Amino acid sequence: MADKSKSVTAQDNEDILVLEGVSKIYGELKALNNVDLKVKKGEWVAIMGPSGSGKSTMMNIIGGMDKASEGRVILDGMDITKESAKSLTNIRRDKIGLIFQQFHMVNYLTAVENVMVAQYYHSMPDEEEALQALDRVGLKERAKHYPSQLSGGEQQRVCIARALINYPKILLADEPTGNLDETNENVVVEIFRQLHNEGSTIIVVTHDPEVAAVAERTIVLEHGRITKNIINHNDYSKPINLRDYEGLSDEMLLGKG
Amino acid sequence: MKRSSFYFKMVTGALLRKRSRMLVALLAIAVGATIVSGLMTIYYDIPRQLTRELRSYGANMVVTPADGTKLTYEEIETIRALLPAENTVGTAPYRYETVTLNSQPVTAAGTQMNEAAATSPYWNISGEWAADDSSIMLGSKVAQLVNAKVGQNVELEADNGAGEGVKNTYTVSGIVETGGSEENFIFMTDTALDSFMGDTDSFDTLECSISLQGDELSGLAERINSSSDRVNARLVKRVTESEGTVLTKLQALILIVTIVIIVLTMISVATTMTAVVTERRREIGLKKAIGASNREITTEFLGQGIFLGVCGGILGVVLGFLFAQYVSNSVFFRSVSFIWGLVPVTILSSVAVTAVACLIPMRSATNIDPALVLKGE
Amino acid sequence: MFFRMIRGTFTKQLGKMLLIAFTIALGASLATAMINVMMDVGNKVNAELKTYGANITVSPKGASILSDLYGVEEGTGDDEFLSEEALPKLKTIFWSYNIVDFTPYLKGRVTLDESDVMLVGTWFDHHMETPSGESLDTGMREMKTWWDIEGEWLTDDDDDECMVGIGAAQKYGIAAGDTITVNKGGSSAEYTVKAVFDTGSDEDDYIYTTLKAAQELFGRQGLISSIEVSALTTPDNELSKRAAQDPQSLSAADWETWYCTAYVSAICYQIEEAIPDCSAKAIRQVADSEGAILEKIQLLMILITALALIGSALGIMNLVAASVMERSQEIGLLKAVGAHDIQVIGLVLTEIMLTAVLGGVLGYIAGMGLAQIIGMTVFSSSIAITPVSMPLVAVLVLCVALIGSIPAIRMLVKMNPTEVLHSN
Repeated sequence: MADKSKSVTAQDNEDILVLEGVSKIYGELKALNNVDLKVKKGEWVAIMGPSGSGKSTMMNIIGGMDKASEGRVILDGMDITKESAKSLTNIRRDKIGLIFQQFHMVNYLTAVENVMVAQYYHSMPDEEEALQALDRVGLKERAKHYPSQLSGGEQQRVCIARALINYPKILLADEPTGNLDETNENVVVEIFRQLHNEGSTIIVVTHDPEVAAVAERTIVLEHGRITKNIINHNDYSKPINLRDYEGLSDEMLLGKG
Repeated sequence: MKRSSFYFKMVTGALLRKRSRMLVALLAIAVGATIVSGLMTIYYDIPRQLTRELRSYGANMVVTPADGTKLTYEEIETIRALLPAENTVGTAPYRYETVTLNSQPVTAAGTQMNEAAATSPYWNISGEWAADDSSIMLGSKVAQLVNAKVGQNVELEADNGAGEGVKNTYTVSGIVETGGSEENFIFMTDTALDSFMGDTDSFDTLECSISLQGDELSGLAERINSSSDRVNARLVKRVTESEGTVLTKLQALILIVTIVIIVLTMISVATTMTAVVTERRREIGLKKAIGASNREITTEFLGQGIFLGVCGGILGVVLGFLFAQYVSNSVFFRSVSFIWGLVPVTILSSVAVTAVACLIPMRSATNIDPALVLKGE
Repeated sequence: MFFRMIRGTFTKQLGKMLLIAFTIALGASLATAMINVMMDVGNKVNAELKTYGANITVSPKGASILSDLYGVEEGTGDDEFLSEEALPKLKTIFWSYNIVDFTPYLKGRVTLDESDVMLVGTWFDHHMETPSGESLDTGMREMKTWWDIEGEWLTDDDDDECMVGIGAAQKYGIAAGDTITVNKGGSSAEYTVKAVFDTGSDEDDYIYTTLKAAQELFGRQGLISSIEVSALTTPDNELSKRAAQDPQSLSAADWETWYCTAYVSAICYQIEEAIPDCSAKAIRQVADSEGAILEKIQLLMILITALALIGSALGIMNLVAASVMERSQEIGLLKAVGAHDIQVIGLVLTEIMLTAVLGGVLGYIAGMGLAQIIGMTVFSSSIAITPVSMPLVAVLVLCVALIGSIPAIRMLVKMNPTEVLHSN
């Protein structure tokens, strides 16, 4: 196993994220049970599963907000399992862009300032760049609005712009469409498609089969284990309409591993 | 530069755009600072005011001439010039002569009536103060003895300086009641007594009422004594010693009350600030999730605390002074002086209290697991 | 269910509720302490002002003024004295409890080195049993605290000793330890000088000895010429001023009020009733000043108390308002699942009031302690607890908590549940 991880960094088509035998144990409960996962650079991966399957735990461990009880997490060639809380903060800041189900904006700052907060903690606030990021999610004209003046979809797009602003290695989205209607859901997924085409690595945690289906690869978690690893063959050259996707069937998701 | 300006934007943004909550905090701090500056002003000003108030006990220093001699007008003025004008409540010179009223020997005191009124505010006069050289006031016992009433004319007889018998008629303008030995005297203006006795420049004592106490007052007495060997200034111990005791107690009372109120107010400001910061746990979690270090978050909250502390402190300085002014005006009918030294004290203490109040919840707030907060706890 | 929810708030939000209770307790303790100190400060300051000495003199009714006058020989009539036996009667008057100290004097001129000097016989530390069975120590030592003594105070048994004023001491060249001989008519007495004192007033020219020694010298056994009384009094007002002029002019009701209030004039009147043929007069220098200063201090304390009360009220209101607003989401949820406004308000108010009662009770207890600390530190005596402070503080705390909840409650009623739930 150790040899394998060393060779990972040397590969051309490099794995940006590697989980090796990762377990998370809460007392008697094994929220994650010996999970192995590799995500390649530029890959678009969806993690699916019913409530309590360990999705959030996995997401938190990848995002450096929680620590694995066993196993190793290698992010961009760096083992983050042994890092202190302080350097995990730095890793989060430099390598990961986080998107949440609840949009979580600082409610006394405008849209563009909310993007700049991430720049501020990372390095230097740059309004030009922040406006460009908002432009990319189609919100340039709403830059001076406060969160209370934005719709849910717009707030989520600001959060995506904020997640992207520091050129993270991985975009980590936790139920990004969970609080959105169909139209806004589509807008967000479309942004993900564009980012994917530009080469961003995207990991989406979702329980929505359609959102899971538009990813390149769908991983299904059950009782803390990966039970399915489905490769989806999608055409990313033209805009996505979620209505065109049937979504993954129940049989595919719940069938025997 | 840019980074610091964004920091400033975040700090003020939270204050300006979360207006109602911040006003609550600001109000708490301003009330606290008002109490601090108001009570401190009163504490510093009270001794001055009370010293003046205690002058109602009358003269606290008496200047007498060397044995067997008299004080001249010139000497009286020299001594008056030595007294600090702003602390001098009154200086009444007295000349005592034995006169005869209805064949009874009585002591007549000649003084300057406006000064006597200032040094002896406790005299109770039925009728009027003797305003001119033709009127006199009788001590109540004298009045009783000769059965004289206000408005009545009485005739005084005496042997003047040259040993000749003189007599003159005066109108009784008032009866003096004090409960003390003054009730046995006749009071008239110094010029009236001078012209009656046919000489001048012969005062026996100068009673001074000075709103100073302790070492300042005894220092003043020493200065007068060393200015001339013809005069002897003594403190009226009954008044000065007692004043010391009473003032010390009162000052201690105000001090301890001030300390108690200030400490409780500071704790109350701190709890309010703690509540305000605790409210924003979610925001702290979000900032941590997107990569803010504990240090950066602490710096932001500290910045807001200091900003609020400064604003509240400035408000408190102004309101506190107004409060002290109101107290002084309604209690002592005098205004207080603005103490500049209290401005930094008030602002610094309110900044310190708010900063500490922000830091207390910070410890637990920065320990929050961002994941838990963001999950919508 | 209602109580289950309340219990829920208390267990889940224990920290926050404790913070509110703590702030309320602070405010309540401050209010309690200040109210009690304010109510009692009059008595305390009054007692302090006793250092200014006697505020009443009692002299025989027909006493000639002559003996007091400058250089004039005293009169000789036997009727100008009071009886020493009348002294305990001072402690039988209506306001006897307010009479702190008193001392009798027997004054007379004596000859020393062929010139006249005033000799005064008095009590220094006299111990007596009052008719009411109380025991009392009184005399000059208690009343002339400002005297500057070089040597030692006389005691009541030192019949062969005396104290000499600094003026007389300088005039005759007397120092402590010397022996002087004074003559009065045919009799003479020899005293050892135990102390020289400095007062800065007329007394500096006097010689003091024990009452018994003076009575022997003057041949006036059992007689005294005046009494100085130090009494705790209430500041004069319009009624007492009118009464001082002529008590008989008052209406029956006014007279009753005046007689039963510790005005200096009422106490004088009662002394005159108790001791036959005497005239009791207020020493205005002391009595008036006391009144003025007492009033100032009381007003000052009232204003400071008001500031403290306003401060703690605002502090509590702030915190209550903030804590209710903080829970807007939870309350929005309650409204969304069908709670009526009145039910939500009931819930919030019950919580706040329970917290207020808890904080108020703790604060009241702490405040009484605080008042005692202030009393002991400043006046070295305990502060009397005013019963009225309890309801006063209770009403204050509840009102403040209620008023503090009003803005929050208005907000809760207006609130649209969906808005709250959506705008995180």
